[in-house]
Amino acid sequence: MKSIAVYGSYLARIPVKQRYWVKRADGVIQRYWKHTKRMKVAEMSGRYEFWGKGKDLYQAVVKAHKYMPKRFVNVSAEKFAEHPEQYGYQGKWIEKEVES
Amino acid sequence: MGIRGNGLRKKSNPKPILGYTDTETVKLDLDNMPFKWVKYWSVKTLKQFRLRGLIILKSSASSYHVVFDRPVPWSKNVGIVAWVCLVTKHRRLTEWLVMQLIKKGSTLRVSSKKDKSPPRLIYRYGEQEQQVKDFLQFRKLGKALARAEIDPSNRKQKDISDFKHTGCSLMSRVR
Repeated sequence: MKSIAVYGSYLARIPVKQRYWVKRADGVIQRYWKHTKRMKVAEMSGRYEFWGKGKDLYQAVVKAHKYMPKRFVNVSAEKFAEHPEQYGYQGKWIEKEVES
Repeated sequence: MGIRGNGLRKKSNPKPILGYTDTETVKLDLDNMPFKWVKYWSVKTLKQFRLRGLIILKSSASSYHVVFDRPVPWSKNVGIVAWVCLVTKHRRLTEWLVMQLIKKGSTLRVSSKKDKSPPRLIYRYGEQEQQVKDFLQFRKLGKALARAEIDPSNRKQKDISDFKHTGCSLMSRVR
């Protein structure tokens, strides 16, 4: 399938994770992670792979300018244009060397 | 004197990079290689695997992209690029291949990247009716999309009509 790749490095606001431990019934201390309400700005890299019709691709690429991908996102341009917040964090792209 | 004192501003609003991804087009990303070698290995690969035609694009100084015309399945595609890695002993190409294998699809850049301009077409060889034609159409679309990103409110009618024609016709063929 042919698709448009939108990729690079970005700064995004992501929720801070916090670890905690729970002692299980069998005596093992299990580690868990939870998302807190606190947010932090992190530098990450990610990628969208969009497929679809020209008009949807246009809308998706324009929205991809504002919503940074959650790692590797392979999605139809139409679905992404409808609900970009499901597939990405708000942030901004930065210029940094990345491989294709 | 600082930057502000000279009346210069730091460049802002960086953009994401746009690329063209698919599985059936044989593509090569040859960095740090002189053009005559790129041409030699491209034509040799074309003859070895009967790939009908090719184009070479210059992406930056002594870096080139090669796109072949005949569509092949993904397994065959990977085999051809691996063969080129083996005969050329090109480390950067091997790294690129490994990355494409992880993604399960090969990508070549169509937009500008940092201080590099978009790849430009410098050489054609053989037939250009299938994958090369599709690639050039998608490249046109990618360029229009890159322009649209700069200022979505100021887009031209021509750009949108380009999307309609290029995108729809390509996708109807793909599906």
